[in-house]
Amino acid sequence: MKVKIKQWNGVASWLWVANDENCGICRMSFNGCCPDCKVPGDDCPLVWGQCSHCFHMHCILKWLNSQQVQQQCPMCRQEWKFKE
Amino acid sequence: MMMESAEIFVSVPQGLPSAWDTVTAALVSPMSNDVTMSDESLSEGLSLLCSNGLGQFLEGWLMETLQVRLTTAMAPEFWAGLKQPENELEEKDRARILLMAFRTLLDRLEPFLGGLEKLGTWQDEGRGGLCGPGTGGLRERAFSIIRAILLFSPSAVLQERILEFYSRTFSVHMSQEGEAGEAEEGGGGPEVGICQGCTVPTHQCWCQEALEQLQELSHILSRLQLLERVSSEAVTSILHKLIEQRMEQHCRGEYESSFLFDFQEWLELVLGWLSRVFASEVGGMGMVPNGTSSGGGVMGQPANAVLQRWRCHMHQFFCRIYVNMRIEELFSIIRDFPESKPAIEDLKFCLERTNQRQQLLTSLKTAFETRLLHPGVHTSDIITVYISAIKALRELDPSMVILQVACQPIRKYLRTREDTVRQIVASLTGDAEGCSDLANELSRADPVTLETQDSEDEGSDPEEWTPDPTDAVTDKTGSKRRSSDIISLLVSIYGSKEIFIDEYRTVLADRLLHQFNYNTAREIRNVELLKLRFGESHMHYCEVMLKDVADSRRINTNIREEESRLAKEEQPPLALSAMILSSEFWPTLKEEKMELPPLASQAMEAYTHRYEKLKAMRTLSWKSHLGSVTLDVELEDRTLTNLTVSPIHAAIILHFQDKSLWTLEDLSVALGVPQEMLRRKLTLWQQQGVLKEEAGGRYSVLETGSSRERPERGVMLIDSDEEGDSNTTTQSEQREEKLQLFWAYIQAMLTNLETMTLERIHSMLRMFVATGPVVTEMDVNELQAFLQRKVRDHQLIVSAGVYRLPKSTN
Repeated sequence: MKVKIKQWNGVASWLWVANDENCGICRMSFNGCCPDCKVPGDDCPLVWGQCSHCFHMHCILKWLNSQQVQQQCPMCRQEWKFKE
Repeated sequence: MMMESAEIFVSVPQGLPSAWDTVTAALVSPMSNDVTMSDESLSEGLSLLCSNGLGQFLEGWLMETLQVRLTTAMAPEFWAGLKQPENELEEKDRARILLMAFRTLLDRLEPFLGGLEKLGTWQDEGRGGLCGPGTGGLRERAFSIIRAILLFSPSAVLQERILEFYSRTFSVHMSQEGEAGEAEEGGGGPEVGICQGCTVPTHQCWCQEALEQLQELSHILSRLQLLERVSSEAVTSILHKLIEQRMEQHCRGEYESSFLFDFQEWLELVLGWLSRVFASEVGGMGMVPNGTSSGGGVMGQPANAVLQRWRCHMHQFFCRIYVNMRIEELFSIIRDFPESKPAIEDLKFCLERTNQRQQLLTSLKTAFETRLLHPGVHTSDIITVYISAIKALRELDPSMVILQVACQPIRKYLRTREDTVRQIVASLTGDAEGCSDLANELSRADPVTLETQDSEDEGSDPEEWTPDPTDAVTDKTGSKRRSSDIISLLVSIYGSKEIFIDEYRTVLADRLLHQFNYNTAREIRNVELLKLRFGESHMHYCEVMLKDVADSRRINTNIREEESRLAKEEQPPLALSAMILSSEFWPTLKEEKMELPPLASQAMEAYTHRYEKLKAMRTLSWKSHLGSVTLDVELEDRTLTNLTVSPIHAAIILHFQDKSLWTLEDLSVALGVPQEMLRRKLTLWQQQGVLKEEAGGRYSVLETGSSRERPERGVMLIDSDEEGDSNTTTQSEQREEKLQLFWAYIQAMLTNLETMTLERIHSMLRMFVATGPVVTEMDVNELQAFLQRKVRDHQLIVSAGVYRLPKSTN
């Protein structure tokens, strides 16, 4: 007997490679989106800081904009720098 | 005055007795003799009597005489005449005897009537100082005496005869109007030689005679003012019977045309007959000998008014009978609804004229309960009937009260069916076969948003407000919430639209995962339509799901392109495309572990790599048991091409490619699938004649000699009848999970408060649920069942209605 597979349709779910489940700012799942967004993934990306913490991009931008003096990571209070 | 007359009696003036005789003789003598009596001597005698104060006794004497004669002679004679020749008479003769009896009665009474007239006239004229109630009053008294004595104990014979006679004249009348024949002999064609009116051979036909008799009888009766008394009952029962009969013949089971107009016409014909029966009320006036056409109070009820009254009665009968019949049939009418609209309209017309709403409600409720709401009826059928009922009853009763009350049992019952939501959602999206109503309803031009329904009805004019019918259920929702929108009514069965949207999401997920053609035009349309009803925010998840499908297609093309640029030998051996889901937005998918064949897992790994390159910092988690595989199976003597199976089936057959004999146990280990499930999955290949089961739970490939018929090529072989059909967890499983979530809360509460009643737990949980992320409709009964299970598992103790945790867990 010989089986010839012509087409395989698989089902997968995507997920962020992050060290946490939820965004530390909005407490929503990384695999979902921030409260302001409707669509997850490309439209609501994650960003990592040099301190290795990551957040929804929209969340951390909002946080940084609200910081008057020094821009710190909300988790570890180190100075926030985007990881390149 | 009395003293005076007493004195007079003592000295009897001359000529007084003879004057009395003259006058009284004139009063009771037959008319014909009247002429012989000279008017002169009469008035002389009268004035003599009056001057002697005897005038006032004339009236009393006349009445007394009438009464005595009636009791002793006339009434017995009348009854005897009626019964006279005991039996064995033709109908025709019976009619004649009836008439004869009345004729004799009239003859006997005629002198008295004449006397009354005379006395009345004297009184009216005040001749000789005579005073009294006058013509009208006298007549009234006399006729009440006649009625009282004659009909004090009417024998059944009279009613019988009258009924028979009237029925006959009715059919004669109708046949002459060319109506009855069509109704009764319409089928077989008129029998030759039989008169349709009197149903005797034509040469003996007495139709004309009957009509003449009817006229005479009516005259006599109205002359005696007995018409209403004697004939009403007969006429009423005839009308009732005939309307009923005609309705049975014409309307029963016929819902597709309106009968109101036909019946209106027919009733006009019947009215013709009625006018024959009652017309002589007016005609009779002419026969009053004295020609008092002054239209004297009692007798002069104009025929028109009488007929008008009967017409009203008749319409009332008609409406009542019609409503009764339709109430019986209402279930069938509803079932046939769009076709039975004329029946509904007729019923509406008639129902407004009779007071039978309550009867209708009760009967309809019972009909629903006995014919619809039992386990033998498929949920989709119940829903179909419910939809028809909504449509039909909103025609019938725009206030929607009947709908609300009568359909309460249906809604209650549907709540107990597990697949209700799924069925409704399926028919909403046009999946359910033969039930496109909801799909049409959904795409209707002006959807009622479920959001705005709760708000105040600002648009409506206060002038147009109408009070609720009295049978409306008094609840806080009020009439403005009584919606007639089918979809909102269906959705509100469960009281919340969330359940529906969840269910829709599940259905959508199933469909997307089964189709794999990335063609979502129809789903997008459905979601857009649902958005109009449920609001944008609720359908958001579904939109993301559809976007996932579109994105997946793009990613697939992207990755394909990349692969095609590779060198020939590096090309992947397996064409893999993927459906990539945003896990947060899809319903919870069933988790099944399964070891994929290396071919597939390698392809998936490669795919994941490319995906990771495409989308930075993201990776894929494969659901190995989901998806579909298209494959060819080449056996020694045959080839099965283009089979589409689920991944597990593909994995199974791939294992048999390497080794043609497997035991269930080994295969189960190799695939990482429980044996039970594996056995079920293997049946597909057995049905295809590729594998066969041997003794000892071994399976082997059937390389040759399958005598079975080849299955059709290219069929979808995803077994749809088994429980694993749905890729998503079922509603009850999800509920169970949610309840499990509450278990932690319950434990915490019981630890703190030690003991709690069911109600307390429920209300506490409701508080949590309201604030928590999962909004479920939580039922006390459901919670109780859940707690009972916990009690059975010894995780909880219940005593005297109070729950507590067992000591050991503390």
